[in-house]
Amino acid sequence: MSTTTISASAPAAPRIDYLFVGAAVFATAILIALVLLDGQPASAALILGGFGLGVAFLKAEFSYTASWRRFLTRGEAGGLIGGLLVIAICALAVVPIAALLPNFGGAIAPIGPSLLIGAAVFGVGMQLANGCGSGTLYTVGGGSGRMLITLAFFIIGSVFGSLSLPSFLALGGVNPILAADYLGPWGGLLATLASLALVAAIMAAVARQRGANWRPSRTYIIGGIVIGVLCVGVFLVGGHPWSVTFGYTVWGGKIFSALGFDFSQAEFWQWPGPKRALTDSVLTDTSSLTDFGMIFGAMAAAAATKRYAATAWPPFKSLLAAAIGGLLCGWGARIGFGCNIGAFVGGVASGSLHGWIWFGAALCGNLVGIRLRPLFGLSRD
Amino acid sequence: MRKTYMVVMIAALVAIVGNHLTSPSSGRAVSPEDFAGACAPCGAPCPVKK
Repeated sequence: MSTTTISASAPAAPRIDYLFVGAAVFATAILIALVLLDGQPASAALILGGFGLGVAFLKAEFSYTASWRRFLTRGEAGGLIGGLLVIAICALAVVPIAALLPNFGGAIAPIGPSLLIGAAVFGVGMQLANGCGSGTLYTVGGGSGRMLITLAFFIIGSVFGSLSLPSFLALGGVNPILAADYLGPWGGLLATLASLALVAAIMAAVARQRGANWRPSRTYIIGGIVIGVLCVGVFLVGGHPWSVTFGYTVWGGKIFSALGFDFSQAEFWQWPGPKRALTDSVLTDTSSLTDFGMIFGAMAAAAATKRYAATAWPPFKSLLAAAIGGLLCGWGARIGFGCNIGAFVGGVASGSLHGWIWFGAALCGNLVGIRLRPLFGLSRD
Repeated sequence: MRKTYMVVMIAALVAIVGNHLTSPSSGRAVSPEDFAGACAPCGAPCPVKK
């Protein structure tokens, strides 16, 4: 009996799911081999950077969606402040390098109705989907069937967004506003870090007032530092801050094209960047490279510790929320110039005002999304 | 769920490799922001011409 007691209370040893660890490593190796055969070591580095991000996000359970929800419902600010740590680390490299060196640029975007509407819709979607751009990638990689549905509809919504974006841009707006353009590279960096410190202080004050915790957990701090450093690496290799959702748009555009849809009259797909992305190999798009790496990295990390994808499918209402949330996220990300990564992390880390405006609008959307969650059997907490 | 994942993964990998092998891929990886006139990560133009 004592033996039974001892074996029952002893922690279970991690079980490696060799099939899926092997599949993730094999798929990553195939992609790296293909880009190296084309003589593109930088592309291989972006895949590996994405792989590292997938591992880091999964191990730290770094979730923007849950952090925003905890802040809005309970006042807990630790997760959000951990997210700001990522941005601060990234800004240390992005603001000065983008201002001083040719071939590097920050994540910029025009400020207008398109940004506000897109970010707000994205905010609603991320609470229904239970994940943002990066969250969808690492949870898909982590073995969540629900998030496979989210990803599929994220891609579809993103294509719809690509068709809508020109009309929303026509509503007007102003050109991007970059701190470094007004204050120089170092002044711009100081202003960016000061804005981050101010927002962190406000969040901490709100948390204290609501009697909630404001300190990021140790895991979030370590995860935030690792993710921040990897963001810098992706920036140095790719020339622009890490972005996620343009990859989804490209995948969707290619899938729809293969199904016979003609984008030759669609304005978005005639702009030079999207036009080239639609015709060229998916492995020449920087965001697709990191996206693929992130999925496989999270898959390897998840399968290294337990039997992979062993959970049952969630209820229909939850899958419906995943689909609707994915559509809203995809559409909103295209209209609002990105997700938490491309618009918020990348924008603020570049000293671009649109990043903070995106954050404010998305936060409002999150409030709506949290209220809608119970309709789909999802907790508000 | 595991079977679904394996099928999705194989289909995705075949699609990626197939797209790569049948599409131009001579240059370095780029972002839409690398192109002239781009004003956003998706390559959208600026509202006011610079």
